[in-house]
Order: sequence, then C-alpha cells, then structure tokens
Amino acid sequence: MFMENNTGSRSAAAQNGAQTTPASCPEPNGTLPSCAGLAVPYVPFQQNNPQKYAQTEALSNGTLFPGLNLPFRLAVEGSTLPATPLAELQALEFVVLELNLYLDTHRDDTEAFALFKQFSAMEKAAKAAYESKYGPITKETAAAADSYQWLSDPWPWNFAQNEVK
Amino acid sequence: MFHYEKKLQFPVKIATPNPKLAAFIISQYGGPDGELGASMRYLSQRYAMPYAEAKGLLTDIGTEELGHMEMVAAIVHQLTRNLSDEEVRANPSFAPYFVDHTTGVYPTAASGFPWSAGSIQSTGDVIADLTEDLAADEAMVEVQHDRKPLRTLDCWWDKPFPAAMV
Repeated sequence: MFMENNTGSRSAAAQNGAQTTPASCPEPNGTLPSCAGLAVPYVPFQQNNPQKYAQTEALSNGTLFPGLNLPFRLAVEGSTLPATPLAELQALEFVVLELNLYLDTHRDDTEAFALFKQFSAMEKAAKAAYESKYGPITKETAAAADSYQWLSDPWPWNFAQNEVK
Repeated sequence: MFHYEKKLQFPVKIATPNPKLAAFIISQYGGPDGELGASMRYLSQRYAMPYAEAKGLLTDIGTEELGHMEMVAAIVHQLTRNLSDEEVRANPSFAPYFVDHTTGVYPTAASGFPWSAGSIQSTGDVIADLTEDLAADEAMVEVQHDRKPLRTLDCWWDKPFPAAMV
C-alpha cells in the first residue's frame, strides 16, 4: 500500500524498529508502526495537529488537510466556489465533517476537538440564518414554521438552488 | 438512522447540458467504483469492526458517500436537462442509456451493467475489509483523475471537481 517512490527511508526505519518519534515526519508524510506484522498492509498514519486550510479553501479542495490533498498524477487546483450564502454554509459544514472524520482516528487531539466545537457552533448559526431566509433544509425547521414549506422549490438537484442569490 | 438535509454537500450548477459527458459520469453513480458502491461497502462492513475508530470511520464516511451519490446524480441530471431530439441522436455514447432510461437517473456503470453488490465485498474480517477499502478508494481516484474522458470535467464546472472529495 506504500507509494514506491517515497518509502525508502521510512520502511528501513520500520524494519529495524528505530522509528520512535511519531511527530517528526514532514507534513505530507505519516508515520508507520515501529514493529509491523509480516505480510500485512499498512498506510502511513496522519499525525496529531496537522496543517489545516481555511473553510472555503477546504471545500474547494475537497479536504481540510493540505497533507491529504493528493494530486496523484494529475495536478488539480481547487474549484472556484460561488459567493452564495449556501456555499458559505457548505464550507462550514465541510470543516465540521472533516474534523469529525479526523477525530475518529485522533480522539486525543484536544486542539482539533476545540475546533470541532467551534465550527459546529458556527455551522449551527449559519444554518439557522440560511433557513430563516431561504426556507427549511431540515424537518426540524420545517416543523417550526407556520405552514408546511418542505415542498417549496428549489430542490437541491435543481439548477436554481445554486444560482447566485 | 439517517436524516435528510435539503441541500448538496458541494454546489452543482451546470448551465450547458452535455449528454456525452453524462454517459461517462453515470459510472461514478452506479459503476463498480462509484459512490453507491462506496456507501454500501462502508455501511455494510462496519458491523464486523471490533475497534471504535473503525466503527466511527466507516459509519461517518459511509454516510458522507450517500451525500456524494446525491451530488453525482445532480450532475447527471443537470447534464441531461432539456435535451433536443437532435442532441440525443447525435450522441451515440448516450443513446443506449436514453433508450432504457430516457433522462431518468439510474445507477448503472458506463458499460451498461446495472449497479451490483457483486462489485463490493464485506468479509467479516477487519484486515480484508480495510484492504478492500484501500483498493476501492484508489480505484475511485484513478477513475476520477486518470482516465482520459473525465479530464473534460473542466467543461461542466469552471474548475475540476475537488480532487480529494471522493
């Protein structure tokens, strides 16, 4: 599972058990176990407190973490996001989702958890502001309205939802 | 359980229909390396996971893949809106899909093979399942980035689809 062109030094260290300081790898490189079972595939582990993009940059690149923005054999620049309230909400939600996945495997990273709480609160506020202006996107908000507006246009796959408002 | 939010994860806004491109993109919906397969793979494998980290990851990524499915379906839908008779006839790559599904969104591979659980695995073995997930994820990246027809993705959004959002 290793990329052949950049595993030389790491796999040598892994073989003799010399790799004991997991936080010393440069950003795009993860650590490997110091002792590894034979004939079992491993992937480099992402380390605690990785570099992070700002929210809009994260959504346009499809990842919160520069270390995981892998262009493979085709260099790809991030997309240009439309400047809409919806895109701003999508960017906040994407950061919350990425931190959620990161914390699944790094539950002791207290800095990431603090960010998770912070962005989750920002997302909640942005969602409430969006819904008060453009209509419900959750059943909960639909139920809090004076009349049933869940069926109102636009639906997410309609072109219109992503027009600049 | 799952709750629906009435919005996409990422904006999809395609002004110009392109049925030829839709005939390629549909594989990312219902093909062997598509989003439907990814979601079913992760959400099915999680029951055999003994570790909290893996239970959490497979649940959360499997859920995110459902959102990716919806984005890809929206792309196919918008690429095939308001087609003229001529646009369908002039696109031999889209015509077979049109014969069976008109412009309905159907989970199928570009080759015409309908989505099948035969393209995923859930073995009950942690290492085997996670290894399959690594292979599937790499295959998806291959499809999105390296197979030539999809490089024309520039056409349907002003920049390519985010590299890491697979």
